[in-house]
Amino acid sequence: MTTIREDLTDRTLWAEFARNSGRAFRFMLRQDWFGLSMLALLTLFILGPMLNVFVWAFTATRIRPPAILPEEWGLRWWIATFERLDVIEGFTTSIVISLIVTGLAAVICLPAAYAFARMQFRGRTVFLLSFLMTNAFPRFGLYITIAVIFFRLGLVGTVAGVVLIQLVNTLLFMVWIPTAAFQGVDKALEEAALDVGASRLRVFIQITLPMVLPALSAALLLTFIGTFYETQGAFLIGVPNVKTLPTVMITLINHPITQHGAVLSVALWVPSMILLIFSQRVLRGGSLAAGFGV
Amino acid sequence: MAQLTSPQRRINWVPYALIAPPLIVMALLIVYPASLSTWDTITVVDDNGGVRFSLEAYRNFFEAPRSLPNLIFTLQITVFTVGALFLACFPIAYYLRFARTPIVGPVQFLALFPLFVPGIITAYALLRFLGANGWLENILVSLTGWDGYVTPFPKASGIAIGLIWEGIPITILILTAGFAQIPNSLIESARDVGANRWQVFTRIILPLVRRPVLIVLTLNFLGVFGSFTMPYLLGPASPQMYGVYMEQLYGNTRYSNVQVAAVLMFLISSVVGLLYVRSIVSQRLEEGV
Repeated sequence: MTTIREDLTDRTLWAEFARNSGRAFRFMLRQDWFGLSMLALLTLFILGPMLNVFVWAFTATRIRPPAILPEEWGLRWWIATFERLDVIEGFTTSIVISLIVTGLAAVICLPAAYAFARMQFRGRTVFLLSFLMTNAFPRFGLYITIAVIFFRLGLVGTVAGVVLIQLVNTLLFMVWIPTAAFQGVDKALEEAALDVGASRLRVFIQITLPMVLPALSAALLLTFIGTFYETQGAFLIGVPNVKTLPTVMITLINHPITQHGAVLSVALWVPSMILLIFSQRVLRGGSLAAGFGV
Repeated sequence: MAQLTSPQRRINWVPYALIAPPLIVMALLIVYPASLSTWDTITVVDDNGGVRFSLEAYRNFFEAPRSLPNLIFTLQITVFTVGALFLACFPIAYYLRFARTPIVGPVQFLALFPLFVPGIITAYALLRFLGANGWLENILVSLTGWDGYVTPFPKASGIAIGLIWEGIPITILILTAGFAQIPNSLIESARDVGANRWQVFTRIILPLVRRPVLIVLTLNFLGVFGSFTMPYLLGPASPQMYGVYMEQLYGNTRYSNVQVAAVLMFLISSVVGLLYVRSIVSQRLEEGV
């Protein structure tokens, strides 16, 4: 092994390595030209805009066209952005509303999910599938008909109105994922515990709950994040009194100071990325698509 | 009588009580608003309080000069975006399923990446990247000296780009899930009896992914047709997509017009919505709900 390491320090070997990797690249290109061109295209189209936002967030002065990098880097605008009153208020509002919506969705949907998974009753399949209705409407068309009613009821511009409209999005996810989780629990384990004299409540808390907890927490987490970033419902119903962070972000998008939006984007996006990757691990493959009824 | 109330015949109400809350929420926040809007648009209330059938609201709506052009524009953008998304994602999903190279992993990561980016951040990022004096223009100018770049914002193409960016991951996810259900053995046995690549693709693979393809097309149609954020932030002031148009009518307190626009959207997308529900339902029933 040592000889290899020594060899690599040799200049001629480096040159050969470079030649070889060039050859390897050409080979790859012949073998997998489609994959490589997709990789290049997606990198530009998907990562390009994201990288651009990161650069803007750490730009102290400005990016003078046609330069690509800023004249001066720095964290100056992070402080300035988080000192903005609308950002602070928007953040609090968003957290509070998302917590309420997630809690409400859990209270409303989780018992239903338990019933769908563990009880036999007439019409079970039809009722379970009826939640697809939440996806079968053009979303904003539905929202605007809700808004017309909320206007008559005086719910426009109230937290209650925003909570209710955001609840629509959560139903399918909060019923279907927990239903699948409860169905996955091995009934034999529960029956065994009942046989040795455990009470129903104790079986639920000590056997059933721990087994469904990962999927349940993932569903709660995704509901929370989805609600936190939900934009059109909150914008339509909340304005002008209730401004969630995405609503504030709308006003910052074309703000003369580009960095405000960039800082907020980075700050908002990084935690959600970490949480979502975490929850994807908890949910077995493909469950993320369940929210789309797939 | 005694037989009717015997334990075997009695309905157990507990499960119904448990599933009632989310169903009630759905009835109040989906069925009721949609039905009420439909009812409001096809009736008028007389001076003496009587209700009669009338399509006056629709005539009134289409008298507004922008209603029809906006509707056509919305449909054009929707059809274009759904088609472009499908044409871009189908080969990638096919590649992700069948290719065996080290590039599959990175391509999949990039294709699913937008799933983790909230729409509002996407809009901001695209505006900076593709906008006037944005990164792409600057890169082109510095690398090639070519300064003929024209930004897609705020134009129809800008809306399509934003919606495509957003739609890539779920399209790929559904299509790869569909491709994944095709067993290798089936393809190998077809090869064994002498089928070439093209025959395998058209005779075996395509018929087996019909349902995921239908799901993707219908879901994307509903998503694009009923979108607001992307067209609002990236699109032109005129013509407008219906999401933006309705929001503006709503802001001008023209609620009757808003309801007509929404009901028109429901009508146009009803076939698509039904197809979507039907294909998911049949899939679920096969898998056992």
